[in-house]
Amino acid sequence: MRLYFRNIVPGFAVAAVLVLSAGSPAAAQSSPAAAQNKIPTPGQFPAYKAPHTADGKPDFSGIWQAFVTADIDVQDHDAQAGPHPDFMGAYGAWPGGQGIVEGGEIPYKPEALAQKKANAEKRMVVNITSDPHRHDTGDPELKCYNPGVPRANYMPFPFQIIQGTDTILFSYEFARSVRTIYMNPNDKTIPKDAPADSWMGWSHGHFEGDTLVIDTTGFVPYTWFDRAGDYHSDALHVVERYTQVSPYHIMYEATIEDPNVFTRPWKVSFPLYRRMEKNIQLVDFNCTEFVLDLLYGQYSKRPGK
Amino acid sequence: MTNHVTHRSRTLQIVLVAALFAPAYVAGQSSHDANTKIANGSTKSASTSTKTWTMPRTSDGQPDLHGYWTSESFTPLERPAKYQGREFLTDDEAEAAQKAGLQRGYDRTYDDPVEEPVYDSTTFGLTPALEGFSPNKRTSLIVDPPDGRLPPRTPEALARPKAIGDRDYIEPDGHGGGIVHADTPRDIGMRTTCVSMSGGPPILPGAYNNGLYIMQSSNFVVFQAEYGSELRTIPLDGRPHASANIRQWHGDGRGHWEGDTLVVETTNFRPEATFRNANPKTLKITERFKRIAADQIEYSFTIDDPSTWTKPWTAIVPLHSIKGPLFEYACSESNMDVVNIMAGARATERAAEEKAKASGAPISQK
Repeated sequence: MRLYFRNIVPGFAVAAVLVLSAGSPAAAQSSPAAAQNKIPTPGQFPAYKAPHTADGKPDFSGIWQAFVTADIDVQDHDAQAGPHPDFMGAYGAWPGGQGIVEGGEIPYKPEALAQKKANAEKRMVVNITSDPHRHDTGDPELKCYNPGVPRANYMPFPFQIIQGTDTILFSYEFARSVRTIYMNPNDKTIPKDAPADSWMGWSHGHFEGDTLVIDTTGFVPYTWFDRAGDYHSDALHVVERYTQVSPYHIMYEATIEDPNVFTRPWKVSFPLYRRMEKNIQLVDFNCTEFVLDLLYGQYSKRPGK
Repeated sequence: MTNHVTHRSRTLQIVLVAALFAPAYVAGQSSHDANTKIANGSTKSASTSTKTWTMPRTSDGQPDLHGYWTSESFTPLERPAKYQGREFLTDDEAEAAQKAGLQRGYDRTYDDPVEEPVYDSTTFGLTPALEGFSPNKRTSLIVDPPDGRLPPRTPEALARPKAIGDRDYIEPDGHGGGIVHADTPRDIGMRTTCVSMSGGPPILPGAYNNGLYIMQSSNFVVFQAEYGSELRTIPLDGRPHASANIRQWHGDGRGHWEGDTLVVETTNFRPEATFRNANPKTLKITERFKRIAADQIEYSFTIDDPSTWTKPWTAIVPLHSIKGPLFEYACSESNMDVVNIMAGARATERAAEEKAKASGAPISQK
């Protein structure tokens, strides 16, 4: 990080930046010299080479957060009042935003699009039964369930990447979700295919240059992509690409494939921002405690309490 | 507990769950002699390999604690009266205690009156013991005070009301506490409702899912409990503790290396999730992790809370290497217990009301 600051000092450091840029990702757009004196152009980053760990891998350690509104709707959407404006007022209103889907539209099969609309209509219909029908309606986020992938990465909460040699851990503040990314293909104790379906999937990762590529399968069919009811089946396959484009940004891209629901693979992309507060740490958001009445109130002695 | 389960539907479910979620088989006995065979005949080279073993290190030079471990043990936290004055078991006693511990696991599984046991303890709890690990001959996990017993509680602590759902509360018969009725989900306790399962600190043996994943980066160490998949992420960069207004479910841990020993100090506990109903504002837990063999970490913890115990106390829990990986424990997502317990409680109440109506007797107002 300190190196970067030195490099953007006008003058001789420009040459150093140009040298550094030689092997950097294609995200580099504008010239480094121009970047020093101009307001940055969104979507464009000066050339950047990520720092490396002691074992020589690009280092993604840190606390990161997306600032898109894709958790509300991954596609373009207007602001809306949100649920119960009668007493939630502006607290409960949802901001509008531009989507994260490449090309704007999710390529649903016709029958799947109908299901997405049904999901959205019943996103707040929660009926927790003692069988899998508990997942028939209601947004999993509302129930404080694991948000799945890629949704966990654009929840309005930070997450921490802790990078070891054999694994990289993603620790999410929302619902304290965890993903373990297995990075050592020679470790025969780690199954290649998911041993069981899970909410956050079964992930193997590798580096392509300085890009971290994570391939995830083995999902349960119960997570959604957003509050708009966008969904998938247990055939979901997500390939994510994380590329550091500055000391403070990761450009994130995910390819989503699910032949049961979509006519073709589709992509989302957005930047992740490094949280820079001094001594930043995740503060528990153990929302299970907050949804006990929502989930189980119907079974209480005085219903709802 | 299985003998109690055959009757009364509501009680059945509550007792069953309470027992299954009991934090530890503290009534358990001991482990096994270091160099004798474990129940299934396998042996471990663990302790014997220490002569040629050298400390593995990460690429930046820290002792390498990375991997999958278990805190499973049949050794009780406190020394049973019959071993008073003795720190260690004889080989024969260790053998007997190991067999007794395994037998309890089988009983839990196969004496279950339900047609399909919900929890197969040979799978969920006893796998590491069956596969063998270098055993613990101590008569108690507590090593200080030297009598292996908890120091007396302070008058202040004795007067303190028990937190609902205190995950470390244990009934005298070994069952988990906290479940007395099921009027609301909060009556059921935070473990059964999946609010918080385990993960420490401290790390103690429980009835099952004792797996622990430790991973390291240069500035953090992470402890992931198998039970509940709950993480503790410990900074090693010397930063101060979070403000006293931030109270984490597993406290706020800070780590540093003392030689080859990782020391983690944790404060900032939540009132409803404080170890053994200690005072969340004064409790400090200091843990020490030292890798002593290819397949063993010596783990100790010291509990210091002058408002709860008259003096600090320390226990040693050996962590044994197990085969990974750990699986996601999505607890709330699949939690059928709360629905069943509460629906059972309501059904019991309706049945009582109908019976009372039929007999013309007044309905009791509990």
